[in-house]
Amino acid sequence: MSSSSQFKQLEKLGNGTYATVYKGLNKTTGAYVALKEVKLDSEEGTPSTAIREISLMKELKHENIVRLYDVIHTENKLTLVFEYMDNDLKKYMDSRTVGNSPRGLELNLVKYFQWQLLEGLAFCHENKILHRDLKPQNLLINKKGALKLGDFGLARAFGIPVNTFSSEVVTLWYRAPDVLMGSRTYSTSIDIWSCGCILAEMITGKPLFPGSNDEEQLKLIFETMGTPTEATWPGVSALPKYNPNFPQRLPKDLRMVLQPYCKEPLDDNVIDLLHGLLQLNPDMRLSAKQALHHPWFAEYYQHYTPAPPSS
Amino acid sequence: MSLSPPTFQTQLTLSRPYLTRRQISKLQCKTITDRRSYNQKKIVVIRYLSELCTRLNFPRKTLETALYYYQRYHLFNSFETELCYTLATSCLVLSCKQVETMKKINEICNLSFVLRNIKMNPMKNAEILNNFKKQLFHLELKILEACSFDYRINNYVHADEFIVKFGKKLGFSYQVCHLAWLIGYDVLKLEIMLIVPQHCISLAVLKIATELIGQDLEIWKKRETFIKLDVQQLQFQEAYFDILNFFINAFELCDLKDNLPVGVPMISIDTFIQLKKRAGPEVGIREMNESSLKADEYFAVQREYTVRERRYTLIQSLVKDESNSLEKMH
Repeated sequence: MSSSSQFKQLEKLGNGTYATVYKGLNKTTGAYVALKEVKLDSEEGTPSTAIREISLMKELKHENIVRLYDVIHTENKLTLVFEYMDNDLKKYMDSRTVGNSPRGLELNLVKYFQWQLLEGLAFCHENKILHRDLKPQNLLINKKGALKLGDFGLARAFGIPVNTFSSEVVTLWYRAPDVLMGSRTYSTSIDIWSCGCILAEMITGKPLFPGSNDEEQLKLIFETMGTPTEATWPGVSALPKYNPNFPQRLPKDLRMVLQPYCKEPLDDNVIDLLHGLLQLNPDMRLSAKQALHHPWFAEYYQHYTPAPPSS
Repeated sequence: MSLSPPTFQTQLTLSRPYLTRRQISKLQCKTITDRRSYNQKKIVVIRYLSELCTRLNFPRKTLETALYYYQRYHLFNSFETELCYTLATSCLVLSCKQVETMKKINEICNLSFVLRNIKMNPMKNAEILNNFKKQLFHLELKILEACSFDYRINNYVHADEFIVKFGKKLGFSYQVCHLAWLIGYDVLKLEIMLIVPQHCISLAVLKIATELIGQDLEIWKKRETFIKLDVQQLQFQEAYFDILNFFINAFELCDLKDNLPVGVPMISIDTFIQLKKRAGPEVGIREMNESSLKADEYFAVQREYTVRERRYTLIQSLVKDESNSLEKMH
């Protein structure tokens, strides 16, 4: 954005699925914003992803969803002006790594972030919008401890892509097993699985299922959560990519998997919530609303508005 | 609102997705010099887009959205006869992205050439196609600007879908819904889509369908019907009378007369005149008075496309905040 703009373009914040994001300053109001520059494609014109993101985000007004302020058209460029957030959850967690040892977040902060994530998601689902690309990079945070859902470029409209705009492979780590096995009838449960993966990652500081391809991703999931059968998940064998020769694994105790990477003792409630979010069978997963009423959040829903943890 | 401090020039526009009839006329005064030619071309464009949609197996909502864009474009951009097909194709391409009926753009372009009998030169095929696509994408941005990047209108609510939803909710027969769906096609020829939300149009169309079948229902007189369906009565009436007026004033242009389902009584201009008589005084949404219209820059000043940076927002408070900050700066 040139000097003749209302916005002063500052440092680059990152690359989105179809755009480059910069920090910006509104010269009139002095407010910081995030400027998402959309690349106009010579084959496709205005990317459908940008159109989806604009149409969805202009409707979603919630304190846990990043706000789209306006859209700027300059000659042959589109820029989406978003609410500015200091950081994203991925960068924040990476910044806490000591040497090669990842460190999880304090449990009271995990709880606060997870609550906000579920609040934002429940609002999306109430408005019949699936995010479909929830991952720590897309969860924006600020110094006050607020967390907001961002990057709605894949929301609702499209199948989950293999490649992004920059041919960087879209991470599989947060992808639900039903989607990995080719289900096309997925719904809100797809986002709930991602929430479960993110919760575990906040606790340990490392991704729960870091697969590098579909096959390995399923293998890692089954190794921890157990291999599904028709008895535990009716209809699983009818999924397009179901393989009857998947190695048969029994579910592991999640506490045993996570506790070694967490300094604080994990209570039964958080483990129970994780089980509710990480059900292999999508029909058995909690909804975002149900998750918000889980006993782990009792201190929040009893007082309704949670305050950020002092740490 | 145009903000012009010394260091930059920018234009911030607050979206207004629906406009009144008088507001539309005011805008069209500046963009449409030959109304007759515009109307004639619009009918040709509807046929062309209908054919494209039929051949590409698009649902009604794709056509509806494309026609919304086509009409909205002409509120802020001059009507040019020779641009019609290119503009209509661009509206369809954008509509596909909006309502998620995805098709390869090349497929749409090639079909457009076939329908318009454009002979392709094998040596120059790629060049012709690429030039056409460039024009489409250029216009696509202008259409988006005409809509202020406001997708609320065509995002979830489509007239044909709401004919079915409301029809079911009100317990109407298949015959009523089918007839309403057919009337709905003729409604695409009207500007009512720019004036009231599509679900209000759906309900108006259903009322007309019941009346044409000879049902005189009490529900149309009850406020609860409208409250239950979240339809504003004035918007509904605006649509109802607009549709009746179309059948009365331009009956020869309607497709309904040639496509009446079996069992539906024959229709004529007189049928609709009788319906209008029975409906009582013509009412609709409230118009802005002339002096307010003149004072409103949105209508009084032609949209300025030479401003390098054009911003579009749905947030009223954002406009106020920036305006206040500017005042303080000065």
